[in-house]
Amino acid sequence: MSELVLETEKLDKVYKLGGRQVRALSDVNIQVKKGDFISIMGPSGSGKTTLLNMLGCLDKPTYGKVILDGVNITKVPEKGLFKIRKYKVGFVFQTFNLMPYLNAIENVELPMEGTKKSGDEKRKRARELLKLVGLSEREEHRQHRLSAGEQQRVAIARALANNPAIILADEPTGNLDSKTGHEIIRLLGKLNIDQGTTIVVVTHDSLIASRAGRMLFLNDGKLLAKEKQGTHLLKRELTCPNCGREIQLDDTFCPRCGKKL
Amino acid sequence: MYVKVNHLGALTRAVRNVSRRKIRALLTIIALGFSMAIMISIPAGIVANQEAVQSLSENFSSTINTVSTLIECSNSSGRGMPSGAPSFRFGQEETFINEAVVDEICTIEGVKDVVPFLEKSSEETTMQAMDTPRGSFTISRPLYTITGVSLNSTFIAEYSILPTNIVVGRNLQEGDSGVVLMPSNLTDYYEKEVDDKIGIYGESFTIVGIYESASESFMRTREVYMNISDAQMITGNTGNVSRLDVYAEDVSYVNGIADVIKTAYSELSVTTSQDRLEMYQTALNNAESTLSQTQTVAFQEIVIAIAATSLIVLFTMLYTVRERTKEIGILKAIGFSNWNVMSQFMLEGILLSLMAGVVGVVIGIVGAPFISSLLLPNVNMFPTQGRSFSGRTVNFGTALSQSATAAPDLQTVLLVFGIAALLGALGSLYPAWRAARTSPMEALRYE
Repeated sequence: MSELVLETEKLDKVYKLGGRQVRALSDVNIQVKKGDFISIMGPSGSGKTTLLNMLGCLDKPTYGKVILDGVNITKVPEKGLFKIRKYKVGFVFQTFNLMPYLNAIENVELPMEGTKKSGDEKRKRARELLKLVGLSEREEHRQHRLSAGEQQRVAIARALANNPAIILADEPTGNLDSKTGHEIIRLLGKLNIDQGTTIVVVTHDSLIASRAGRMLFLNDGKLLAKEKQGTHLLKRELTCPNCGREIQLDDTFCPRCGKKL
Repeated sequence: MYVKVNHLGALTRAVRNVSRRKIRALLTIIALGFSMAIMISIPAGIVANQEAVQSLSENFSSTINTVSTLIECSNSSGRGMPSGAPSFRFGQEETFINEAVVDEICTIEGVKDVVPFLEKSSEETTMQAMDTPRGSFTISRPLYTITGVSLNSTFIAEYSILPTNIVVGRNLQEGDSGVVLMPSNLTDYYEKEVDDKIGIYGESFTIVGIYESASESFMRTREVYMNISDAQMITGNTGNVSRLDVYAEDVSYVNGIADVIKTAYSELSVTTSQDRLEMYQTALNNAESTLSQTQTVAFQEIVIAIAATSLIVLFTMLYTVRERTKEIGILKAIGFSNWNVMSQFMLEGILLSLMAGVVGVVIGIVGAPFISSLLLPNVNMFPTQGRSFSGRTVNFGTALSQSATAAPDLQTVLLVFGIAALLGALGSLYPAWRAARTSPMEALRYE
């Protein structure tokens, strides 16, 4: 059995809003194995982002626990959470959230600050990651000189900087056009296959969600019993459904027959 | 401004953050710079004040201690002025005492010697710039003063009636006539040397010696010494003297002699060592009291400057933290600790203050005289650099300006940067702490 990277037990989150209680999450149990690519789908206000914040130590549950890479993070005091965020989690946001005053490679280096890596090692690692996301030529470019898709690629490289146990992506395609959105989800898929990166994506876009290995559904803070197998990550996806020829994960169109993938 | 570096560090980020909001940074730095300039200028002014009072104090004691049997007599026009009241007064006629008085005073019981002087302004005049805290103007004044002294070898030896700092040639001596002793600044002015001739009141005199003149400053008298009978002759004052130094045989006779002179010659202004002591003491007390007031004012102003600096940093950084809330959330989400976030903002505050320190040093160097005279009380008082010098005005403001105009030494600059860093850290402490304790989730939601 594969090793569990992330596990939640009876996760509840209750907010107090103007004297009344709002239950954002209710009895959520998820198990994420190493190498999984999971999408969590749900409509707006279903608690997707709340759940992702719990998983990434940005928020604490009211009840229940989150075990990340063997550590019960609900028990970790506030002061110690930064280490978990730094080394065990990589965040990818809908709005990319790059530092506008840093260039691409510096943005990727940012999470490595305070680690034991030397300056040269950080730069080398950042360079490797930018190559991995296909932005070797854009190292020195700052946010305003990068397209939205490129910015999200930099954000993905930044999330990978400290080789985290899991990548948590909150609507990573939400601010992108559909073509670029598919490129990004393909990139995540490629990382999942090539690097074995464990990825959890929350989205309200069913097409994007379907590209994951497993699809979970959240509604009104509850995880629905139904679970679907995704399509994109299966090895057979690497052949063109039209002509049957081999294709690359980040191809949008088949290089042989030109059919949209 | 984009600082390109090989390795990203907190300092690089701080520089980039400060420079990406140029106008705000510039305005903040200028405001902080003025506060720093005040911090630099005022202590320099205080040091100048302390030195001035110290110098006064030393001069007072040395003058009082050296001539305690001296009773100075001059014409009443000099009344109210301290030791060595000059014969020259703005807008007043030079007045003289009949020489016969000398012999009469000699007969008073307890009088040891009476030394007469004749002081007369030169015919030549010069224009002199005068700086005051309220502006500069130019006045016409005599180029020098002729001082006729009684060239008696006993007087010369015992009463220091001639300058002793001879740099070239010799001093005047008993029996000299037709010769003068001149200050070096005047021989430089005339381009004369020892043994050269110089014309005074239409008569030709030979320069026998040159003495080192004191530093040039406002109302400093340039004195040309000659035999008193020569002076009387050339200035048409035969039988006249302008002041008398009466020496008692013993200190115990001084008050008695003074009383007799005051009674007999009501037109004379009589000053004893006791009078001098009192005048000096009053002047010194005034100076010390003013210094004390100045120090209090300076202290208050420095406290205000420090508070202003801290508040400027505080408000700027509070605004910055509020503006960059989302950035704080991102930093925390990608693993920055509270300390990392806090030090980032504190570093920016310190950086702003250090840049302001540079501006402050520049403003301090250029504007110290103005700042000092504007912020510290100006005080006029009578100085007392020995006898024979006129009632010279020492202006605290001027003294401050002179002191503060000097380029600050490395120690001062380092001190200012130290204070700047400290105030930057202090002012940004609360905003940075607020930034550090911001919840990452709430910060990420902030737009």
